[in-house]
Amino acid sequence: MAQKEATVYIVDLGKSMGEKHNGREISDLDWALTYIWDKITTTISNERKTAMLAVVGLRTDGTLNALDNSDEDAYEHITVFKELGQALMPDVRRLKQQLVPSNTDVGDAISALVVAIHMITTVTKKLAYTRKIILVTNGNGSVDADGLDAITSKCKEDGIELVILGVDFDDPEYGVKEDNKNAVKDLVEECNGLYGTLGFAIDEMVIPRMKTVRPVHSYRGYLTLGDPENYDTAMAIDVERYPRIMVAKAPSASQFVVRPNMAPGETQSQFAPSDEDLKPSDLAAVKNARTYQVPDEEAPGGKRDVEQDELSRGFNYGSTVVPIEEADKNVTDFESKQGMDIIGFVVKDQYERYLDMSKTNVIIAQRTNEKAIMALSSFIRALYELDTYAVARLVPKDGKSPTMVLLAPSVDADAECLFEVELPFAEDLRSYRFPALDKIVTVSGKELKQHRFLPGDDLMDAMSDYVDAMDLSTFGEDDEGNPSEYATIEETFSPALHRVSQVIRSRAIWPDEKLPPVPEILVKYSNPPQELINNAKASLKAIATAGDVKKVQPKSKSKKGRRDVPKPLSGLDVTALLSAQGGTVKISPQNAVPEFRQLLDRGSHEDVESAFQQLGKIVRDLIRNSVGGSGYARALEATRVMREEATDLEVPDHYNEWMKKLKTEILKEELNGDRKDMWFMIRANRMGLIQSKECGASGAGVGEDEAKEFLSVRLSI
Amino acid sequence: MADYSNHNRGQEDEEDEEDIDETGYKTIKDAVLFAIDVSSTMLTKPPQQDSKKADRDTPTIAALKCAYSLMQQRIISNPNDMMGILLFGTEKSRFQDESTSSRGLSYPHCYLLTDLDVPGARDIKRLRDLVNDEDEANQLLRPSNDPVSMANVLFCANQIFTTKAPNFSSRRLFLVTDNDTPHNDDKALRSAAAVRAKDLYDLGVDIIYSAIPSDPDAPAPVTKASRASASGDGLTLLQSLLSNINSRSAPRRALFSNMAFEIGPGLKISIKGYIIIKRQEPARSSYVYTGGERPQLAVGSSTLQAEDTARSVEKVEIRKAYKFGGETVSFTPEEIAEIKSFGDPVLRIIGFKPLSMLPIWANYRPSTFIYPSEEDIIGSTRVFSALQQKLLKDQKMGLAWYIPRRNATPTLAAVIPGAERLDDDGVQVMPPGLWIHVLPFADDVRQIPDTSVVQAPDVLVDRMRMVVQQLQLPKAVYDPKKYPNPSLQWFYRILQALALEEDMPEKPDDKTLPRYRQIDKRAGEYVLDWGAELEEQYEIWKMANAGRHTATGATKRGSAAAGESGKRTKTVAEATSKSSDMISDEEMRKAFETNKINKLTVAVLKAWCKQKGIKLPTAAKKGDVVDEVTSHFENKMVL
Repeated sequence: MAQKEATVYIVDLGKSMGEKHNGREISDLDWALTYIWDKITTTISNERKTAMLAVVGLRTDGTLNALDNSDEDAYEHITVFKELGQALMPDVRRLKQQLVPSNTDVGDAISALVVAIHMITTVTKKLAYTRKIILVTNGNGSVDADGLDAITSKCKEDGIELVILGVDFDDPEYGVKEDNKNAVKDLVEECNGLYGTLGFAIDEMVIPRMKTVRPVHSYRGYLTLGDPENYDTAMAIDVERYPRIMVAKAPSASQFVVRPNMAPGETQSQFAPSDEDLKPSDLAAVKNARTYQVPDEEAPGGKRDVEQDELSRGFNYGSTVVPIEEADKNVTDFESKQGMDIIGFVVKDQYERYLDMSKTNVIIAQRTNEKAIMALSSFIRALYELDTYAVARLVPKDGKSPTMVLLAPSVDADAECLFEVELPFAEDLRSYRFPALDKIVTVSGKELKQHRFLPGDDLMDAMSDYVDAMDLSTFGEDDEGNPSEYATIEETFSPALHRVSQVIRSRAIWPDEKLPPVPEILVKYSNPPQELINNAKASLKAIATAGDVKKVQPKSKSKKGRRDVPKPLSGLDVTALLSAQGGTVKISPQNAVPEFRQLLDRGSHEDVESAFQQLGKIVRDLIRNSVGGSGYARALEATRVMREEATDLEVPDHYNEWMKKLKTEILKEELNGDRKDMWFMIRANRMGLIQSKECGASGAGVGEDEAKEFLSVRLSI
Repeated sequence: MADYSNHNRGQEDEEDEEDIDETGYKTIKDAVLFAIDVSSTMLTKPPQQDSKKADRDTPTIAALKCAYSLMQQRIISNPNDMMGILLFGTEKSRFQDESTSSRGLSYPHCYLLTDLDVPGARDIKRLRDLVNDEDEANQLLRPSNDPVSMANVLFCANQIFTTKAPNFSSRRLFLVTDNDTPHNDDKALRSAAAVRAKDLYDLGVDIIYSAIPSDPDAPAPVTKASRASASGDGLTLLQSLLSNINSRSAPRRALFSNMAFEIGPGLKISIKGYIIIKRQEPARSSYVYTGGERPQLAVGSSTLQAEDTARSVEKVEIRKAYKFGGETVSFTPEEIAEIKSFGDPVLRIIGFKPLSMLPIWANYRPSTFIYPSEEDIIGSTRVFSALQQKLLKDQKMGLAWYIPRRNATPTLAAVIPGAERLDDDGVQVMPPGLWIHVLPFADDVRQIPDTSVVQAPDVLVDRMRMVVQQLQLPKAVYDPKKYPNPSLQWFYRILQALALEEDMPEKPDDKTLPRYRQIDKRAGEYVLDWGAELEEQYEIWKMANAGRHTATGATKRGSAAAGESGKRTKTVAEATSKSSDMISDEEMRKAFETNKINKLTVAVLKAWCKQKGIKLPTAAKKGDVVDEVTSHFENKMVL
């Protein structure tokens, strides 16, 4: 549960706020509003009823507030535009109309504060709220300093935080009344509030704000060493486990569909959406409807619908289906008892960080149990002094699957804890093998130290210099300006998360504007810092020279119409055996792919053309003779081989022309009925036209758009 | 059977939006066909040896046993992969759809024991009977008098692959025979066989030849498998075959291919990424229809419908919108694309740091292994190698901007060097390369909950150090291979027992349980010492802090940290949870004054309310309890 909030924004709308200053292209008010809107939309995006806000205008033409009475003029020119409560889009639209400069400069800032305090007190009473008043002004209205003491004591008593932001308060050229400034400053200081210039606040705004989440424990129990059930020598310490890393996800889009516009007069009683006029765009939510089918040879289409309640649960054992009766449904569950059991200890330096599996957690001793805190402290410190990690078996709750975790000590002046990292099981590792990178082993077992895959000394030296020159460990600056680590985790913000939230808020306030640019801070770490690169230029160049990396030219990959024929180890010339036949070779449907390739190997122009023609026909026959989808996979394989070879041999037309024809034949149902499923397979496997960028051939012109268009189901010209 | 690989609907929005180009062209499946020679030499039992471990089976039976256990393994680890077994040189012949009696002569002396397909319980049972029942084996495994033509065998395999496993990314033929020079005296047959072998090559089938040394003294190729089988040092033929086959599990697919790895501005090499570490989850349960003759799998399909009218909706009609302030904020598809785009897929180094600057908690998903590729950029391997060696030597890491796929969420990543690791036999267990270890952003880091620090005095730490030093794991490292996932193993044990109608196992074999007896034996005494010291030190601490913490100290008797001498351990441990929920008035007041009441747990708050006689509704939510406690203090203040 997040803390309840009540925030009142007081916006100075005096006539003078409509002026432009300090070379800014927008008026002081609009400048102030960039700040206000940012704050308000951030609150709205939390979608919480308990995040309440109010907006009060100061120095407005009219007057509307609870304290105004006809006897005194103290509260005139103060207008409450929005009472304290959750803000929604209609409020935003209304406020946008209302927050414009007035025709007056009359109105008292302190009175506005009293109005705001009154609003907060009325609504929040004595309940637990975070109370806050934010006043933005250019400070040249009146500030009636009488009764400031009462305000400060009230603020203190109710725990109201006061933030006052002045437009250009720091600029001596600008005519802020010195008295006002001092009065305000004193006030804020008395209330432990914040006082600053708007410019500074807007600069701060670019630093993304982070949501704080109240920690919720995910395990509460013992950290044990040994078995307390059966041994007297077991250790058990009360601990709690909290998440350390939880990925903050960007808001996700929902799917909608535009409501069909119904012609007037049509009966639409059951369709008419009730609150339509509230929605600016007529979007209807989209849901997923799920149906289940089982194969049934007698049913049309070979499939029959079944209701979900006719189905039971089960698993696949290879091609055998093993149903699990409702009564036995727990039979596959592994019984486990909650606990965090230490298995043993490992040396810190030998732990490979690439074994880290999942989100990390933090383990602390039970929070109100000093003895447990002391006990865990001894454990943490012992690990720390020995440069050791513990390995434990964790079952967070009875019945959950056990996981293996690493427990690493963290010792700090104000916190001692264990960080918990999940470790892989045997099944989680795949053994893929790769050749060594520092030597080449030949077939005969000889080790080579010089090879085109191995770096020479010059490359090693250049790389070493480069890595050293690009060192980030002292490139940053700490608060005191001393060299420190660059790009620490605390300084990096999720680009996707903040970008999405930025554009949503921007679009909500300014629906007709284009997308705002990506804030610099989100992409700050997408490139190396320029200064560092300047220092490393020489070594980088040395790597390029010594490494001699070259892009493989699409041209050089292929050999127009020719193939390199692989040679078997035995030295037997199989091609000679094959081509002994002479004449035009006929490809048999049974052995189509090998014979197609072998025909291409013969390399003459006519052979190549004939090969494509023959295999093309075989594919069509496979589709035509297919019972249901039985022949589609083979057809697809042959298609793929044709596409690969056509690309490789730079003869894209052989493929593209054929493919165009095939598409027409399928969609016009000329291949013995409805073969659309075949077309979907072609599409899903990206067997469309060969694009000129895929194929080095000059002039083989199928562009990206044409290729994309081709894959659509429509039959185009 | 259709494989529209991209037709997974109903996934999370985000996943749906990301371009899935990792699926590649072919279906990512593997088909393995065993071709096992049934000749008189293959049916000869090895000479009797005294050693119990020595081979007792004929090479053919050993090969079948190997296929049997491989089938059992793969049915679980690779449930979509196909397997088949072809015997050749048999007296009988059988091919697809031909009954044994019709003596299909298309491939004489080839006997298709199990057709290439996803194996089922029936196949396994049949194979089990064959390898366990000598009579049945003798009937089938009878060598023919005429020699079998290798060309026929190979073409038979070709046809099996062509019809049963078209468009598979990996098709492998394991040829198990002791005859490495077939048709030695017939050139025509030899040529024909070579042609058929070339066919298989052109079809994209890998032929893997598993040699059975016919003469134990003959020099064998120096692979681990054959060496082990030849030397007969306890490893049986079966095991060596199995390890040979398992070791050929090629990287199934690259997570990404030829991605740009930008080491510095203007210096790009190309890399491939592989998933080597990934949590293996048990198979998801599916819906099964049991109304028919056999249980059938029900296939679910979902359609999109408009929520208000239940009208079905085409994908092109879908608009994406974000909820905001009670309404929706929408963007055009072009704008959505622009928002998501942070540039092309890349791994771009922005600098280097010592590995020690990578906090131990900075992780949330498994790392990706990368290895250089020469396909796009020549010279990638040597530059990559230089970087890997430098980072290893200096124990440094790269910091990189990382976009794994088009429109994927950009992250920062540590590029960590990984050294090649070999086992005792010199077989690689960890490949050499670099690892992309994705880092969390500031947004993802949760704060450590506030606690009071009660630092353990040095004497107590010393005691604990003694305990820790007794219990190092072997070689002081965590070796994942020694810890199979107990719940996963149990799941498959049960599933296998159900499918094969075997007896249900009673107790799981759990290798992750601590070895309690060892722990007691080696560290027990030291734990007791530590427990006694803790009692003492805690009493001292309590005295010293009596002024500040009176209430706490007094109610805290018999607190949690157990391990004390004698049989009290258990009781003490249990006594704790009760008392720990108590909190003193002073602490509560302090919490009220610092506005931290809502930081306390419900249990603590409720316990306190009960003590104060504040009535709470039974179903009180935390917010209600917090309000009650707050108002208690507020009212009291007024009084």
